[in-house]
Amino acid sequence: MTSAEPRAAQPLLAAHGVARRFGNRVALEPTDIELRAGETIALIGPNGAGKSTLVAILAGALEPSEGTVESHARVGWVPQRAALYRRLSARENLELFGRLEGEDDPAAAAGALLAEFELPDDNRAAGALSVGNRQRLNVALALLGTPRVLLLDEPTASLDPEQRARLWDDVLSLPGRGGAVCFVTQHDDELDRADRVLELRDGRLV
Amino acid sequence: MRRALLILVKDLRVLKRSPFLLGVLVAYPLVIAALVGLVAGYSTSKPRVALVDLDQLPATVVVGGHTFYVNRTIDEISRNVRLVRLPQGEAERELRNGRVVAVLTVPYGFVADLEGMVRSPTLRYEVAPGGLRPRLTQQVQALVYSLNRQLQRAYIGTNVQYVRLILHGGQGSFLGQKFDVLGLDGAQRELSQLPRGPRLDALRDFVHDARLALAQTDSALKATANPIELHEIGNQGRTWLLGAQVQAYALALTLTFLALVLAAGALAAERDENVIGRLARGLVRRGELVVAKVALAAVVGGGLGLAVTLVFGAIVQAGNVQGGEPWGRLPLVVVGLVLAAAATGAVGAFVGALAREARAASLVAVLVVLPIVFLGIVPREIVPAAGWVSEALPFAHAVRFFASALYDVSPWHVVAREAVWLVALGGVFSLLARAGMRRLTV
Repeated sequence: MTSAEPRAAQPLLAAHGVARRFGNRVALEPTDIELRAGETIALIGPNGAGKSTLVAILAGALEPSEGTVESHARVGWVPQRAALYRRLSARENLELFGRLEGEDDPAAAAGALLAEFELPDDNRAAGALSVGNRQRLNVALALLGTPRVLLLDEPTASLDPEQRARLWDDVLSLPGRGGAVCFVTQHDDELDRADRVLELRDGRLV
Repeated sequence: MRRALLILVKDLRVLKRSPFLLGVLVAYPLVIAALVGLVAGYSTSKPRVALVDLDQLPATVVVGGHTFYVNRTIDEISRNVRLVRLPQGEAERELRNGRVVAVLTVPYGFVADLEGMVRSPTLRYEVAPGGLRPRLTQQVQALVYSLNRQLQRAYIGTNVQYVRLILHGGQGSFLGQKFDVLGLDGAQRELSQLPRGPRLDALRDFVHDARLALAQTDSALKATANPIELHEIGNQGRTWLLGAQVQAYALALTLTFLALVLAAGALAAERDENVIGRLARGLVRRGELVVAKVALAAVVGGGLGLAVTLVFGAIVQAGNVQGGEPWGRLPLVVVGLVLAAAATGAVGAFVGALAREARAASLVAVLVVLPIVFLGIVPREIVPAAGWVSEALPFAHAVRFFASALYDVSPWHVVAREAVWLVALGGVFSLLARAGMRRLTV
């Protein structure tokens, strides 16, 4: 993955022929995809189609078996299952990942995200938070380091309608600020939030 | 390395918030160390040997005019084995079922042969097969040696009496028969009263030389019987419980368990928490994550090891026990603790990378600990292969490091060699763990 200032015609994030195998099983056939500034893409498909694999590869969380990912912007990633330390509090999680992301003032960044996502700022372990709060913390962690590209893997799967609406309000302001969003969803009513809808079946874009 | 430090601080914070886990991690190896200590103590205790007395040994046996108190003699010679008197059939049964490890039989006619002093009496010795056999044989040989030494004294005393009888003359007895002996002194007196002549002069010279020679027989006989004598001198050193090996083993075992389980569990937990993918996005490299877990093992293991060392030192100090360097070598011991914990932590990280899940990693780590420890305990002379395998694991090197640092007069050569081993093993297992982490995907 390379990093440089984006040029006008250049995608913020692009995958060239990325594929992934787990042993003999092919999870993702060679795939090309681009995300440009201001764009929102929805990824749909049945379970096991390769959506999460593609998003994890785009995020740099999973190495592709073949192909390359080209990145010209900081990328935030919201995995399907909350990726956080359950014995640390929400603030401690945000501060730790803020330091790892290179935030200048991790405590201030953590405070701002706690307020933005209305998360409890106390000693409660993240594992003791409600499912909704854990998922909002999962999204908040992805926003550390001020990413221009946000990749979300079924971010609203365990949220009630009110929580889902609030989450989209938080997330979808990014394309308006020159960023890009790619999200995986199983909810048809969320597709109208996307500029493009891509469908994956059996590891292939169709 | 800053990122590895951040992960280390996080792990320490998580550990602090898991007091039960921390308590188990600290208590369990100490309990195991104590149990191994007891087993080690048992291994140096007396094996149970059956004594089958077919000849009905009397309370006293008279050999060459010396009276032997049989029970006292058995007590005295059974320092190495515990002799248990059993009937022949029961002894054989107990030997077969392993309740006694050997049977020593006093056959019919033993006492008669002993008292007759004409031929050597024989003891029969039967030992069960197995790893104890060489040690037991040594101990029974020591027992017979001890008996022989006492009998030797009696035989020599009797032989010296006969020599004195030949020398000075007088009344003697043999196999119950009493007789008078003129003796060389008497022979010389008789010869001196006879007229001189070449043939009698030759006899006088012979008697004179024989008297001189036999006068030296006493000490010569004793020297022939015991060319080298061993004198045992009691000392006020440490009991086995505070001995160098036990302390070194306790430290190494505690570290091995704690560091291995902790590092394995902590690395696999990164995947369980699902953060491995988030970290893999360039936040923390695989090598840095391994370094963080190795450092966690070194910090926690080193801290607990230091506490154990201080407790040992305090007991040694309070007991005013001589020997060893409980305080003077403390900095050296701390270096060893950190190196050993880090090397074992690297093994743990490797296990954690392979096992992938924290539960599986912890279970595998616990299962791996005991073989590692026992491989290090098994004497190389008995199972050479165990020694070779043990060389490739940190436990044996840690034991040698601690034993040398705490007790050797000049430990530097051993300590330096074992430190190099620990660093090298830590490096190798860290690289293996880093390679194994490829399996830890989202």
